[in-house]
Amino acid sequence: MPRDFTRTTFFARHRVLVRALAEAMFTCDRGPDAARLEAFVDDIDSFVSHASRMLRLGLLLMLEVIRFAPFWLVWRPATFESLPCPDRIRVLERMESSRFVPVVLVFAAYKAILCLVYFEHRDELADVGYSAERTRWVRALPLVSSQAAE
Amino acid sequence: MLDGILAGRTVERPFVTRADVVVVGSGAGGAVVARELARAGRDVVVVEEGGYYAPEEYAAMTPSNTFRRLAREAALGAAVGLGETPLVAVMSGKCVGGSSVLTGGVCFRVPEEVHDEWVSRLGLVAMGARALEPHYRAIESAVHVETVPDALRSRGTDLFVEGADKLGIPMRPLRRNTHGCRGEGRCNFGCPRRAKMSVDVSMLPEAVANGARILSDALVERVEIAGGRAVGVRGRFRSESTGEPGVPFHVEADLVVVACGALHTPLLLRRSGLRSRHLGRHLTLHPSTRVFALFDERLDGWDGAFQSVYSDHFFRSDGITLISAFGPPSLLAAGFPGVAARHRDYVRRLPFTAAFGALIHDDGGGRVHRWLSREPLVTYRMSARDRVRLFRAMRILADMAFAAGAKEVILPVFGAPTMRTPADVASFFAAPPSARRAESVSFHPLGSARMSMRPEEGVVQPTGETWAARNLFVADGSVIPTSIGVNSQLPIMAIAHRIAQGIADRRATAPRTR
Repeated sequence: MPRDFTRTTFFARHRVLVRALAEAMFTCDRGPDAARLEAFVDDIDSFVSHASRMLRLGLLLMLEVIRFAPFWLVWRPATFESLPCPDRIRVLERMESSRFVPVVLVFAAYKAILCLVYFEHRDELADVGYSAERTRWVRALPLVSSQAAE
Repeated sequence: MLDGILAGRTVERPFVTRADVVVVGSGAGGAVVARELARAGRDVVVVEEGGYYAPEEYAAMTPSNTFRRLAREAALGAAVGLGETPLVAVMSGKCVGGSSVLTGGVCFRVPEEVHDEWVSRLGLVAMGARALEPHYRAIESAVHVETVPDALRSRGTDLFVEGADKLGIPMRPLRRNTHGCRGEGRCNFGCPRRAKMSVDVSMLPEAVANGARILSDALVERVEIAGGRAVGVRGRFRSESTGEPGVPFHVEADLVVVACGALHTPLLLRRSGLRSRHLGRHLTLHPSTRVFALFDERLDGWDGAFQSVYSDHFFRSDGITLISAFGPPSLLAAGFPGVAARHRDYVRRLPFTAAFGALIHDDGGGRVHRWLSREPLVTYRMSARDRVRLFRAMRILADMAFAAGAKEVILPVFGAPTMRTPADVASFFAAPPSARRAESVSFHPLGSARMSMRPEEGVVQPTGETWAARNLFVADGSVIPTSIGVNSQLPIMAIAHRIAQGIADRRATAPRTR
C-alpha cells in the first residue's frame, strides 16, 4: 500500500481544543483515557490534513468559533478548552440547538469528523455491538437436497 | 494489483511521454473511454490525480481511512447553499477508479421521460433511450449488472419495505454492478472482495491488458491547445511526502479526453483557456436525504447490502426516488442528535436502527467556481419546488418507518425533535423549518459542461467534442444536460462508451504503429 502523505494541520492550540471537544463529546462520563485521546487528536489531524488548503483553513477558523463560543452562548468569559467538562457539554448543546444556522453547521462539521474517527475504534465498535460477521447472504445460496449432494 | 501503473509519487525527474489519446481521470467516464480506445488499438495514457490501491488493500482501511485516501477533500467537501438552501455535502472519488470505487454499485438507466426530454426539448437525438440502448447493454454486460437478491436485504430494509407496502408504495429490487456479493456492507468504502465491479476491477485491467498506461498521483494542470486543437496535457506529480504537486510531467497526444467529474472538468477546461459561459453552470446535485428509525427489534442493519431496494412511485408526481441506504457505525453515529450521554445512548441503539434514503430529481441551481484553491468553490441555490420535494421525501420516509413499527424516527433536520408518533410527523411538516436546517448530501454532481446542439447552449457537442477546441473531448457526468433523478454511474458509463466509440471511428486518430 502506498504510504500516506505526511502533513499536519493543527498547531498546539488547536490540538488542545480538539482534545477538549473530544472529552466533551465522548468521555466526560467515562473518565479520562489520556493516551487514547492523544492518539485520537493525532488521527483527527491526519484526517483533516488530506483536505485542500482552503478547506483546512476553514476548519481551523471553525475551531476558533468553538473556542470563543462560551462568550456568547453561555455568557462565560472563558475559552471552550478552559471550561470544566459539564460546561463544555452545555456549550455544545447550545451550538447544536442554535437558531443561527452557521453555528449549527460548525458544530455539525466537527461532530461528524470526530464521530467518524472515534466510533471506528475497536473498543467503541464492541460497545455498540457491531460484528463483522455476515449471515444474511447465506440465505441466497441454492438449497441442495441430501440426495443431490450425494 | 494492476500492472501498467506509474505511481507519480515515486517519480523524481520530469516525465515526458507521447500517446494517441490521453484521458484525464480514471473514474466511470475515463476508464470506459480508456478501455474502448485501447481495445481499438489506440495508444492510451490515463492520468489520475489520486493514488492507486489494490482492492485487497481496502480491507485494511477503516471508513475514515477510505475517505482520506480515496475521496476528494477527505469526503469533507460541500456545496455552499445560497438563500433558502441547505449546505449539501458532496462526495466524489480521488483515486484510480474514481467515484465508482465509492458508490453503492447502484445501476439505473436514465428514466424514459428524461431521455424523451433530451430528445424533444434539447434536440439531443444521440442521447435518446434508443440511441443509447446498445451502449447501456454493452456496459451492463461488462460490469455485470445484476438484480440484488431478496436474501441480501438487511433486516432494516425488510422493515422499510413492509412499511411501504402498508402505505401502498411498491418497492423493487435494485440492480447493481456486483458479482458474488455477500452483503459485507463495504460498497461505499471499496469492496475488498472485488465483488463490486467498480471500474478499477472491470474496465482498467482490460485497458491495461491492451496497452494502456496509467499515471497515478498525477495532477493535470492544463490541457495544451495549439491552433484551436488539443495536443496534450501538462501537470505535476504529487509529492510522496506532502501530497502537494511537485515534479512536472507532459503527455503529448493527438486527442485529449477530459473526465475529471462535474466538479473539476469545468475548472480544468477554463484553466486551459476554453471560453464558454456555460462552463461550471447548470450543476445538478440530486440532493439526498435519509431518516433513521429506531425499533424494539435488534436489526444489525450492517448485515446485508447497504442498498438493495428502491421505489419510483413518487418520481413522476414529486421527482423523488426512494432508495435503501445504510452505513458503517461511525458514519451513522455522526447523524445522531445530542452531545455526550444523550448522543451515546443513541449510538448504543445502532443495532436497533434502520435507515432509508431518498434523492431529488432537482432543477439544478448549482455552479462550480474557480477560486483560491485547486478545489472548486461549489454553490447551490435550491429551487422552491425542490425544497418542497426535500421535505416531502423526509415525510414519506418517516411515514414508512412508523408504518413498519418504528418507535422513534430521527429526521435529518438540525434541531428537530425526535418523532415518536405519526402525529408528530404531521405536526412537524405542517410548518416545516427553513430548508437551511436540512441535512443533505450529494453523490451525483452532474451537468457543469453540458452537451448541446448549438455552441451557444452548452460546452460539448453530441459527439462529446468541445465546441471551442478540436480533438478535446469531455466524457463524464459534466456532459449530462439535466438532472436525471437516479444514480448516475451507469448513464455516465454508457454515454462515455458512445463517445469513445465515436472517437475510435475517427480517421484522425487512427492507430499508429507502436
